[in-house]
Amino acid sequence: MADTERPRRTLSPRARWAVPGVVAVAVAAAVGVPALASPGDADLPQVSAQDLLSRVAAAEPTPVQGTVVYTARLGLPELPAEMTGADPLNLLGGSSTLRLWSDGAERSRVSLLGATSEYSVVHDGAQAWTYSSTDDAVTHYTLDPADVARYQALADRAAAAPGADLPTPEAAAAQVLALAEQDADVTVDSPTTVAGRDAYQLVVSPTDDGTLVSRVVVAVDAATAQPLRVQAWSTSDGAAPSLEVGFTDVAFTAPDDSVLAFSAPAGATTEEVVVPLPETPELPDGAGPAAAPALPDGVAVAGSGWSTVVTLSDVDVAGLVGGDAASLATVPGAERVLGSEEAQDLVQQFVPSDGEGNPGRPSLDTTALYDQLTTAVPEGRLLSSTLVSVLITDDGRVLVGSVPADALRAAA
Amino acid sequence: MSRAEVLDGPGGPTAAAPVAAPAPVAFARLLRSELRLVLGRRRNLVLLAGLALVPVVIGTVLLVTRDSALSGQGPAFLAQVTGNGLFLVVAALFLCLPFLLPLCIGIASGDAVAGEASAGTLRYLLVVPVPRGRLLAVKALAALTFAAAAVLAVAVTGLLVGAAFFGVHDVVLLSGSTVPVGEGVLRVAGIVAYVGLSLTGLVAVGLFFSTLTEVPVGAMAATVVVSVVSTVLDSLPQLSAIHPGLLTHHWFDFAEFLRVQVDWGVVGSGLAVQAAWVAVFGALAWARFTTADVTS
Repeated sequence: MADTERPRRTLSPRARWAVPGVVAVAVAAAVGVPALASPGDADLPQVSAQDLLSRVAAAEPTPVQGTVVYTARLGLPELPAEMTGADPLNLLGGSSTLRLWSDGAERSRVSLLGATSEYSVVHDGAQAWTYSSTDDAVTHYTLDPADVARYQALADRAAAAPGADLPTPEAAAAQVLALAEQDADVTVDSPTTVAGRDAYQLVVSPTDDGTLVSRVVVAVDAATAQPLRVQAWSTSDGAAPSLEVGFTDVAFTAPDDSVLAFSAPAGATTEEVVVPLPETPELPDGAGPAAAPALPDGVAVAGSGWSTVVTLSDVDVAGLVGGDAASLATVPGAERVLGSEEAQDLVQQFVPSDGEGNPGRPSLDTTALYDQLTTAVPEGRLLSSTLVSVLITDDGRVLVGSVPADALRAAA
Repeated sequence: MSRAEVLDGPGGPTAAAPVAAPAPVAFARLLRSELRLVLGRRRNLVLLAGLALVPVVIGTVLLVTRDSALSGQGPAFLAQVTGNGLFLVVAALFLCLPFLLPLCIGIASGDAVAGEASAGTLRYLLVVPVPRGRLLAVKALAALTFAAAAVLAVAVTGLLVGAAFFGVHDVVLLSGSTVPVGEGVLRVAGIVAYVGLSLTGLVAVGLFFSTLTEVPVGAMAATVVVSVVSTVLDSLPQLSAIHPGLLTHHWFDFAEFLRVQVDWGVVGSGLAVQAAWVAVFGALAWARFTTADVTS
């Protein structure tokens, strides 16, 4: 044979067959070793919850860019199979990857990645764009000129927390920290590593037994005090968090200007939406429970803290589900509730409309989606997830609460 | 088949009879004749022509239906083609990648060694004073060259047809940003290179199967089955733990080149998975080919 003709080192057949084995082991080691090394506990000095919270509160807004993985294990029924690609509805279940760029102030871009698609939300001061590559459609949100002046005044007065339509670790952590002081134990767990960075873990455990939330864990970067990961654990699932948003890769450096800029691409359908600024430009000084505005008509609140149940009356659920935007008017306090830009964006996404602002045909059969997500109960229809329950009664009331479904049915 | 060409060619036993011919020269001769064989084989030329036909068909269909109610429908990237011919390259690769390209790769790499064995020419080939390991390397390089030719056949005709039918304009990325033509062409070239490199793992798998059997059809079918099974496993959410290591999992990550900021980590991990498959199955093919008794 050819390779035996020359005097050269020859391996025995057994040794030759060992080579693929060695290669396989080397590959496995290259994959496995970093995976085993990363979850090691970070070596950080101990801090109290009070210190950690104040560090977070004192942290300057920082430019940030990175990859965020969002995972929902809400125990909802599987969504219809035709829902693929980068669609915000995918956030209801499963795992989604997002990219985040923010300059720490007024400009940011969040992209929800699909395999061959992308849904982008670009925010630049008083205006914002969403772009869906699947539909090649741009939605441009602006304030009317009078509101722009008010917005500038507000922005100058208070460095408002940068909002985003898609959940980022920062936005989610800000919401949790505001709630933390009430009705919950706040402790610091052993340090961990998130996205390769040492992080403290702040644990918020509700003291209330009536709620579905077992604890909320916020991982805070030790160096910059920026939130890196938020996990919400349900009482019904102790194995994995029901909701998790966290960086898998993060750098606290200013993003490239070309990333934060947006201009509608040629050929895309563009929809202009003028968003009304809320009618409460004066920020309440002594922000607290006493300053809470009166509830709109048709909204009732029962219970307190984590097991609060909110009841909305006389809602045209069937119309809403059918994509009839006019039925939005039947939602109590819709004007006030939708005053925020984020909520308006959200409603726009679920209630599509054509260029003139008239309600259009929903891109997805929302009625089918509604039937899929909810189950029939004697009182009406019930949406039950590991963190939130929603009961829609046949007489037009909607009960929402982070409580077991049975508690809602008893309240109805 | 036409293995006689190799035997009588410059790399054949008569020319190399004095063992004096330096190894690199013998290797280069063998590679040259193997490339001539693979790229000149009529079956392979028909495959390449068939692949080149895909963008022509897509482009023609889109050109005919561009003003009808059917325009703008279909899988990803198809809707952009009528606005920018450059996207015909991407759309054609997107449509060929799940099945047509693996099929061609399977035919070329599955045939590499098993084809010689079934034609009875393998034992003559082994008379060439080149070690079996190098002979396998020549076979692998020829199969990789065919894979590159297959991807380029789709890409080049896609570019020509797209430019002729729809023109080449500034590229709108998935993120909604617009980049100039020059950068757009570079990004599409990145996609073509990524798709080509994504197929290297399958070439290694096919080469290994080809050393196992004397029935080339078996090796070809097994190679295609591997890519199909990999796609099926990739669609089962219960197996998400093994998804990142699957042969086909990162194939469509070429979309990364169409995002506003290319994450090289994503591109790199896709290529690293292919490198791992090449290393494991290349080593398996080497172990098998250098230890097997060749009887035909």
